[in-house]
Amino acid sequence: MTQVPGGHRGPAAITLRGVCVRLGGQSILSDVSAEIPAGELTALIGPNGAGKTTLLRVLLNQVPYVGRVEFRGASNARPRIGYVPQTLDFDRGAPIRVVDFLACGSQRRALWLGIARSVRRAAIAALEQIGAAGLIDRRLGQLSGGELQRVLLAMALLREPEILLLDEPVAGVDLAGRGMFCDVVGTLQRRLRCTVVLVSHDLSVVTEHASYVICMNRTIHCQGRTVDTLTAENLRTIYGPTAALHHHVHAHEGARHSHPTHAHPDHHGHEHAGP
Amino acid sequence: MIDTIHAVLRSLMPFEWAEHRFMIHALLAVAFLAPCCAALGVQVVNFRMAFFSDAISHSAFTGVVIGYLLVPVFEATWPGAAAWNRILPPATVVLFGVAVGAGITAVRRKTDLASDTVIGVFFATVIAMGIAVISHLHLRADFERYLYGSLIGAAPSDVAVAIIAAFVVLLFLALNFNPLLLIGLNESLARSRDIRTRAMDHAFSLLVALVVTVSLPSVGLLLVTAMLVVPAAAARNIARSAGGMLVWAVLIGWASGVGGLIGSFYADTAAGAAIILVAASIFVLSLSVGRLPRASARG
Repeated sequence: MTQVPGGHRGPAAITLRGVCVRLGGQSILSDVSAEIPAGELTALIGPNGAGKTTLLRVLLNQVPYVGRVEFRGASNARPRIGYVPQTLDFDRGAPIRVVDFLACGSQRRALWLGIARSVRRAAIAALEQIGAAGLIDRRLGQLSGGELQRVLLAMALLREPEILLLDEPVAGVDLAGRGMFCDVVGTLQRRLRCTVVLVSHDLSVVTEHASYVICMNRTIHCQGRTVDTLTAENLRTIYGPTAALHHHVHAHEGARHSHPTHAHPDHHGHEHAGP
Repeated sequence: MIDTIHAVLRSLMPFEWAEHRFMIHALLAVAFLAPCCAALGVQVVNFRMAFFSDAISHSAFTGVVIGYLLVPVFEATWPGAAAWNRILPPATVVLFGVAVGAGITAVRRKTDLASDTVIGVFFATVIAMGIAVISHLHLRADFERYLYGSLIGAAPSDVAVAIIAAFVVLLFLALNFNPLLLIGLNESLARSRDIRTRAMDHAFSLLVALVVTVSLPSVGLLLVTAMLVVPAAAARNIARSAGGMLVWAVLIGWASGVGGLIGSFYADTAAGAAIILVAASIFVLSLSVGRLPRASARG
């Protein structure tokens, strides 16, 4: 295990101390301690099955865990968290429009009694923030992967979140949509100055937009500033001894193989991720 | 009051079927129940829960059996305290239906089995339990009434129950339509917004079990799920928004309930079958509506 010295300097928005999660007799996370800096974009990276999504669910208080999770600010108050899930599960032909989806999170009155003008305006405003106002009356089933991700992001923004959690936001999105979505998140983060935690096994996302990185595989392997942390050695430790990263760092836009953005332990080659 | 309604309906509709009191009662009951079923069906159709509601409604079979088994026990313990043979079977149907719904939900959460596998196992087990008990005890009760449904003997109390059921469903969907929609789309997202998803799941299966139970005598076990699914499926093809789908489902449910019931009188068929055939016809028509080109996605 390698711990990178000289981590972030600013205050931590979220502090995890010795968090362990066991589900069905299996240890999913053990002794996770980390500090997530406030007002920055932190990437949570690690191979499949590393417990990244579980860690998000710890932050959302949706799985039982031991250890401590502390949020900056008032002692017991949980901050407003905007959660952007990987995808939605629905019948693609269902007559559910983007405005219905956005309104069902922010309107008390049942949708079949009508959507209030103010709710619709707020939904459009949230979509405008990410350049997607045109989607307001489209059906969810007609959206592309990238468009759906933006709508999910808009849903989170409607809460005016202090912390934004994104779970593998670009996993089901094509390469063009992926770049666009990451730019949107990056721009948004800089403008709103909110704390963003982005789960990804796509290292290109990390190098481009995250200022802080936490590498994990069931426990924390290393964390720190992106440039200091994404070293070849650290990546070998979590992804395996032969992890090749040249696809992701240099050629990810053009890469055309079955899993273009995952780290491939089975792929030999030279690494360019670190100094 | 039922006499007044009866008189009004008869003067409004000088038809042969309106001469029969039980038809009037049945019509009033169905006019309230069919839209209830259809309204719950929206959630069932949008989130592929048809099999789930099927399992709950078929568990009613075993629920009835358990009810009949308990009648002598209750009569021996509290003789004359209540009309146990009238109270127990419907009560056990609801309780058992809710238990099956909760069981399916719990096993699905605890295991990584596909949800249709879990439902299939529950479904088969529940039916087998019912058949085992019936065959072992050579029970002879009016099970046929529960299988096919019958309107003969529809009473004012059935109308009262239907109105109460409609009120409960309306209230539930006025308060919980949006959270239910969000849970169906992504449970974690719903939980992150402080929606109590587990309580909502249980409340929903409770409501399905209740409505199914109340509809059983008129529609019958075999077809009661169709009362939920078919009008909502037609509404899905016609509606252009989530709220619109509920409104359409209620209208289609009401039209097929009332139309099917009156039709069954003239065609001399089981009412449940006639209701579902009308709903299915509307569904077929709705398919062509769904194919029409749309000028705009609004609506």
